[in-house]
Amino acid sequence: MTVRALVIDDSRAMRRIVTGTLEGFGYETRQAGHGQEALDVLHEGWVPDLCTIDWNMPVMDGLQFVNAVRSNPAWRAVTLMMVTSESEHGQIVRALAAGAHEYVIKPFTADALRDKLALLGLLPQEVSL
Amino acid sequence: MTVPTDSGERRRAGDRPPLVTELIDGATVQEITEQAWLALVGEDEVLVPLPAPMPADALSSWVEIVGPWTGSVVLTCGRDTALALTRALLREHAPEVLIKEEDVDDALGELANVVGGNVKAVLPGPSVLGLPETGSTPPPGREADTCRVDVLWRGEPLTVSVQSHAERENEVPL
Amino acid sequence: MTLTATRFDWVRQLVHRESAIVLAPGKEYLVEARLLPLARKMGLSDVDQYVDSVRSRPRPDDTRSIVEALTTNETSWFRDGDPFTTLTSTVLPSLLSARGPAERLQIWSAACSSGQEAYTVAMLLEDAMPNASARVSITATDISREMVERTRAGRFSQLEVNRGLPAPMLVRHFQRAGSEWEVAPNLRRMVTARECNLAAPLPRMGPFDVVYLRNVLIYFDLPTKQAILRRVRELLRPDGWLFLGAAETTLGVDDSWSRVVLGRSSAYRPLKGA
Repeated sequence: MTVRALVIDDSRAMRRIVTGTLEGFGYETRQAGHGQEALDVLHEGWVPDLCTIDWNMPVMDGLQFVNAVRSNPAWRAVTLMMVTSESEHGQIVRALAAGAHEYVIKPFTADALRDKLALLGLLPQEVSL
Repeated sequence: MTVPTDSGERRRAGDRPPLVTELIDGATVQEITEQAWLALVGEDEVLVPLPAPMPADALSSWVEIVGPWTGSVVLTCGRDTALALTRALLREHAPEVLIKEEDVDDALGELANVVGGNVKAVLPGPSVLGLPETGSTPPPGREADTCRVDVLWRGEPLTVSVQSHAERENEVPL
Repeated sequence: MTLTATRFDWVRQLVHRESAIVLAPGKEYLVEARLLPLARKMGLSDVDQYVDSVRSRPRPDDTRSIVEALTTNETSWFRDGDPFTTLTSTVLPSLLSARGPAERLQIWSAACSSGQEAYTVAMLLEDAMPNASARVSITATDISREMVERTRAGRFSQLEVNRGLPAPMLVRHFQRAGSEWEVAPNLRRMVTARECNLAAPLPRMGPFDVVYLRNVLIYFDLPTKQAILRRVRELLRPDGWLFLGAAETTLGVDDSWSRVVLGRSSAYRPLKGA
């Protein structure tokens, strides 16, 4: 099973960390620097299994992106996971209410990403054991 | 939609803005910074709480927090230290990549974002976190209203300060 | 100040023997940073003195502290998920049908560390039963007083709540407390934390319906494993359930248990008449 992920973050370093970690788990990845760029990738027809989404980004933020993805039924199967330093209780509630499935607070370790992907059933089998 | 709950302390109209030193202490800032280093920079990257003179060619990155408390979270270290931090962040993810100046700005900015987001969660909310900026001149803060942590990372100085904005003094019309 | 090679080697071998974790040469500074707090607690000013003192009079508590300090004991929530999902899917329905409506279910999280396992159980039951806090009591025990106090406080760092705790459960059962997260009071009321050394006669507790004794037996030799399993059986109700770690089993250790396969994991139940 090849799992595809779109990594959305305005920091290039953070995109490299997340894509590097996911590729280590066997993912095929693409990157976007903000929500609009990510929507362009989806419209182009590259619909991933997972989006990891930063919150604060220029042009279109992560919460707006979650709302946009959730308003298009064609993208219903995409799992949305926030990966952000926004860490108030109320912010997590907002993201989940908008349709995000999971929420990883920065800073995180590779193990934390692995645990969350295991919860979502998005970890290729050989890695989860 | 659930309205974000804040952590309780709310400012009544007419009250003076809360001083950052009443809201957050050095130990909390240090703990937040240590967790960022352990998770992102490396699991054996310890920060030693010791002050040391900052080299002349220091680089800063900062994020702004706007809400019941308004100010910045600023990270400062020497340029060589910033480069070493960038290398450590990218470790196994992009070892072959030649690190350019904009990579250093980006990496140091992202560390300020991570520390800043967690500092924001400790302060009264709801508030908004700005996008990180990097440069040699951080925004001026009020000296008396700054919570500052000095540490050594791999023997080199690094400071994290949470500071109210200087323009807050002009909030009351002169 | 750097740790001398012979002292570093001694620590390296100890950690490898106890945890199978390899400390590569060059990690002297890590050993120093992690062991310095332990040295200070004993009133010693450096790690060399501390290592010498433990080497000259090895006590299980000290060696365990060293191993724990060096193995970044980051427990995750729902660690090896199956022993938890089967709790609500299989174990709980069978217990509820066997017990009267006023009977309290008693669950033991043995070697609870900082409490993630006990609170995972509490959250699952709170979400699965309407009046969980009135019907369930969870006993969490650990040999370390510090871990017992941490469990009692129910406060976890950002890095800890990031490890395998589903976000909907985080927002439902936790509140922010400064830079940490605190478990909701109703869950804290369900959990009683106390000190307990599994390798010694146990205090009066239970009887328990479910015991989680996971990733503990691996630290002990065969006679101690047998003694622990015998004492646990005395505190477990005849129709109770025992969960061990994924790499642990009663097979070849104590033959008075039967193994029940539940999904991808197993539970152990006392054999009748054993």
